[in-house]
Amino acid sequence: MFLARIDGTMTSTVKHETLEGARLLIGQRLEASGSASGEPLVMLDTLGASRGGVVLVSTDGEIQRKLRGNNCPARLTVVGLVDFVAGQAV
Amino acid sequence: MRIGIVRGTVVLSAAIPEFRGIRLLVVEPVTAENLSKNNGDGGGKALIVADRLGPGTGQMIAFTEGSEAANPFWPKLVPVDAYCALIVNNLDYQPPAVKGNS
Repeated sequence: MFLARIDGTMTSTVKHETLEGARLLIGQRLEASGSASGEPLVMLDTLGASRGGVVLVSTDGEIQRKLRGNNCPARLTVVGLVDFVAGQAV
Repeated sequence: MRIGIVRGTVVLSAAIPEFRGIRLLVVEPVTAENLSKNNGDGGGKALIVADRLGPGTGQMIAFTEGSEAANPFWPKLVPVDAYCALIVNNLDYQPPAVKGNS
């Protein structure tokens, strides 16, 4: 799991059928220093994360297979909305 | 999933049987800087992505990597590690102004 900052959203009409109705967020992984690193990532969200917010992301696709079927290709899932990191508000 | 731009397709003359009928895309991942500019540039290291949605060259997609990329072929075991999960319609992407941290 890792922390990510949410920078935007994405919509798609043509997609794998198991992704129908999924809320797609664009975020970037955060380093320990709090700076963003790597390429933007698309993740599925059911918690209602908002832009600028920090979320906990799991890379285990099993939860999406359970929710959306065994042939679902989704991997990154928002599993928590972050309040504090090491005692500091984000 | 990462975001990428389709640059072309790959055609194989010989392949393992599991790969029959699978389209292969050449995809250039998009960096945060290029995504915020939305300039059609990628900037990442190109990779080959299995596909069944049929995006055209220049279109933006999101692709899954890792073992989940083979899930759409379940219960068949197909050794792909990148799969085109969706074609992007619309982006609303506004990272904080400070850049140079990617």
